[in-house]
Amino acid sequence: MKIITLFGTETGNAEMVADDIVEALASDFEACAHDMADFDIHDIRQEDVLLLVCSTYGNGELPNSAQPLFDMLVSEQPELSQLRFATFGLGDSFYETFNKGSQIMADQLLALGATEIAERGRHDASSGELPGDVALAWLKTVVSSL
Amino acid sequence: MKSPTVAIVGSGPSGCYLAQALRKEWPHAEITLFDRMPVPYGLVRYGVAPDHPGTKNVVRQFERLFERDNIGFAGNVEIGRDIPLDVLREAYDIVVLATGLHGDRPLDIPGADQARVYGAGRLTRLLNDHPDEQGFRPRLGETTVIVGNGNVAIDVLRLLAKSVEEFDNSEITDEVLGRLLATPLRHIHIVGRSPARQAKFDTLMLRELAGLRRARFDIRDLPEPGGEEDKAVAAKLEALRALKRVGQGELDISFHFGWQPESLNTEEDGYRFRFKATDGSKTSLRLTADSVITAIGFTQQPDSHFCKHGLSRTGADPDASQLAPGLYCTGWFKRGPTGTIPENRADAKAVAALILAQAAAMGLGKPGFAALPAAITGKLVDYAGWKRIDAAEVAAAPAGRIRQKIRDTAEMLRIVNDIHQGEPQS
Repeated sequence: MKIITLFGTETGNAEMVADDIVEALASDFEACAHDMADFDIHDIRQEDVLLLVCSTYGNGELPNSAQPLFDMLVSEQPELSQLRFATFGLGDSFYETFNKGSQIMADQLLALGATEIAERGRHDASSGELPGDVALAWLKTVVSSL
Repeated sequence: MKSPTVAIVGSGPSGCYLAQALRKEWPHAEITLFDRMPVPYGLVRYGVAPDHPGTKNVVRQFERLFERDNIGFAGNVEIGRDIPLDVLREAYDIVVLATGLHGDRPLDIPGADQARVYGAGRLTRLLNDHPDEQGFRPRLGETTVIVGNGNVAIDVLRLLAKSVEEFDNSEITDEVLGRLLATPLRHIHIVGRSPARQAKFDTLMLRELAGLRRARFDIRDLPEPGGEEDKAVAAKLEALRALKRVGQGELDISFHFGWQPESLNTEEDGYRFRFKATDGSKTSLRLTADSVITAIGFTQQPDSHFCKHGLSRTGADPDASQLAPGLYCTGWFKRGPTGTIPENRADAKAVAALILAQAAAMGLGKPGFAALPAAITGKLVDYAGWKRIDAAEVAAAPAGRIRQKIRDTAEMLRIVNDIHQGEPQS
């Protein structure tokens, strides 16, 4: 089993969180991080676990780097019923579209039959908390569900 | 390949993203971010609105450059004044200019040079306690006209329209608020050249305005509802129409679309600001105001030490990232005043890729920081120095504020050098 963290980002904050996740996993798991923009969903194997780390932009839209993967999922409709995944969103509760980006992505995976194995985590930019800290607390619940 | 030495001039988002991208490929290169201020992060600290802490959160990433990735900060050093650019280029294999563009583009009409015409960039710096604007006391009067329809114009509009109570969880200071609210504004006009459907501001920024407690909106020059096919445009127009329905406050805010500034004249009771229609209808708009705020873009400041044209080889591509051998540029200094933080991140990554590709063919081996004159290295503020300023600002924050920015450079330097008094004094 490999844990693949995919980040969708515009400012790089989600990439930083993905780096933290890989670092935290590295001693116990085979783990890696990729930009969603550079990832082909066909590269995933049935036993792998996907962690989605995704921000929200504009009026609750996906960040730029997540768009190609989302489009691929919609147009190719891959069969993902064996896939396990979990989602961590970055957003700002200041806006009503808080965290919508990560939800768009998660809902698409669910629609393709994938199984969500942990409660969705999220970081609120208005909270003053460090995104990495919040993500690592969430990661513990993900790992315990494996 | 030997690890290169890299100096990046300007520690705003473009410079930081460039350092980040280079570090990923060059784990051992000596990389230093220079800044003329004793504090890092440029536009994030001084350009992003003080009531948008979420946007400023990108600093969390940049802190890692210094705290984990062994990138140096050399603040309080102005390249071109303290050290000639040529000296820096002699010392480093690679020099990258990421100094941005911070001059307000002036209005190009008769009368635009009058006393109470203020640049939005300058106002934003004041609102962010930039030391350069310590002496700036704008007199906005009761009625002001904001010219421009970008997000900067909306930032200024929102900041001027908020009451003191609406600045919770921001980093604005009472001193600055006091200067702005000394004479409360009663009417803010905002005038854009484009029709409403082409206005540049983000819909999200408009929606935020709907929460302003003091405001009462009047949105003119809107097209008839319906028939709009572009979803993003329809959402923007709907957000504008929604503003019409909110607000019982005492501050009038009037949006005008499709008007181009024509002339500004002084009369006894204030300015007469005249606009002409951009739809060719030969109609005009006349506004009376006590002050004008220009938010029509940014340009090279006249007192800048170097400009892009002066540095690039004749005939070089004006969009090029490389100005001369070993000399590169990124961000607004390279691209001109367009694009958000994410777009400039993409640019910085592209420039980093170019540098990485060209470095193999460069003669590397310049000594880097060690070759800088001692007079410079003695006065610079390093990252530890900035963290002392940072700690002092956070400690001094009153209730409802994230930090209380220090707006005096001498005070910043005192905190940096005051190593015998334990915790920095607030």
